[in-house]
Amino acid sequence: MAKPILVIAIAVALAGGTAYYLTRSAEPEATASSNGSVAGKSSIGPGHTRGPADAPLTLLEFGDYQCPSCRAYHPIVAEVLKRYPDKVRLEFHHYPLIQIHAHAMTASMAVEAAGEQGKYWEMNDLVFELQPEWSQSQNPETEFLAMASRLGLDQNKFMQSMRSLELQDRVLKDVVAAREGNIEAVPTFFLNGKPIQPRLSIDDFVRIIETELQAQGAGEPAK
Amino acid sequence: MNVRGIALALLSFTGMIDSLYLSLKRDAGPIPCHITKGCNDVLTSAYSELAGIPISWFGFLFYIAVFSCAIFALFGSIGLLRWLLWPVVAAFVISIGLVGIQAFVLNAYCEYCLGSAVIVTAIFVLVIRSPKTVANTV
Repeated sequence: MAKPILVIAIAVALAGGTAYYLTRSAEPEATASSNGSVAGKSSIGPGHTRGPADAPLTLLEFGDYQCPSCRAYHPIVAEVLKRYPDKVRLEFHHYPLIQIHAHAMTASMAVEAAGEQGKYWEMNDLVFELQPEWSQSQNPETEFLAMASRLGLDQNKFMQSMRSLELQDRVLKDVVAAREGNIEAVPTFFLNGKPIQPRLSIDDFVRIIETELQAQGAGEPAK
Repeated sequence: MNVRGIALALLSFTGMIDSLYLSLKRDAGPIPCHITKGCNDVLTSAYSELAGIPISWFGFLFYIAVFSCAIFALFGSIGLLRWLLWPVVAAFVISIGLVGIQAFVLNAYCEYCLGSAVIVTAIFVLVIRSPKTVANTV
């Protein structure tokens, strides 16, 4: 009776150790593959920023508007900006994974089109908020047009911008930069150019940000 | 040595590593895929949890149960394998459902989840082929 229990205990411990090792060893690999140089790629566009231009920390995000995990991270990133209004600036870049998210490119174009009328972040928030509805739609453009109307945008201008090659080029520049940086998952975050893998929790973001602030000597605990 | 008993132990041991890796990695940030596309979508979807608990933890418990029964059977307590039949059938049905969700609802695939589905299917085939034989010949 004792022998099988011993074998089971050893096997469970071995499986636990192996899984833990794989979890740990995957991190440097992911770091290496999406190395910090992506932030400095010549092909990368300027992105859209939220927060003060002179903030000591820039949180760069490669995201996809149709990706459920990007949506899950969205309120956490917003909370980070709320907690560190002077210290963190968000820089968002598009990485629509069109192979699995059929409407992701259209969504990026819709947010860029709203940006042309000065409502980039309002549209960004709305597109994430209403993701479950438009992502199931056969014709998401109608949904985006309704959102534009809700934000008080000029609908004709909005539709023209949705077809703009210049805006499409802006999105594609981000896609090229993401591919050059071997980014494998969305969302992917960089803090001051360094890749980070925060968990889906505000506490983990705070931990990473506090560590970086302390390293910079600008550490002052968040409220 | 009984080949089927050893096969069950090896499959469930691999399943333990896979499900535990997913459970640990899920809490450690975005999960990159290497073969498929959309691991993160699958693992952060509403279908990835049951009552707030990631389903990979339920998978881990299932694999421990299969492994334990296989080991006890290899040490002579063959009757225990009979207990596996319905849990294995349930796990197989759940696996089909989860693969279906990936294919038709999420349109995204997680290679680790597909790997687990393959393991469950292999365990199902081993157990269902002849549950009594499994028990009697180990």
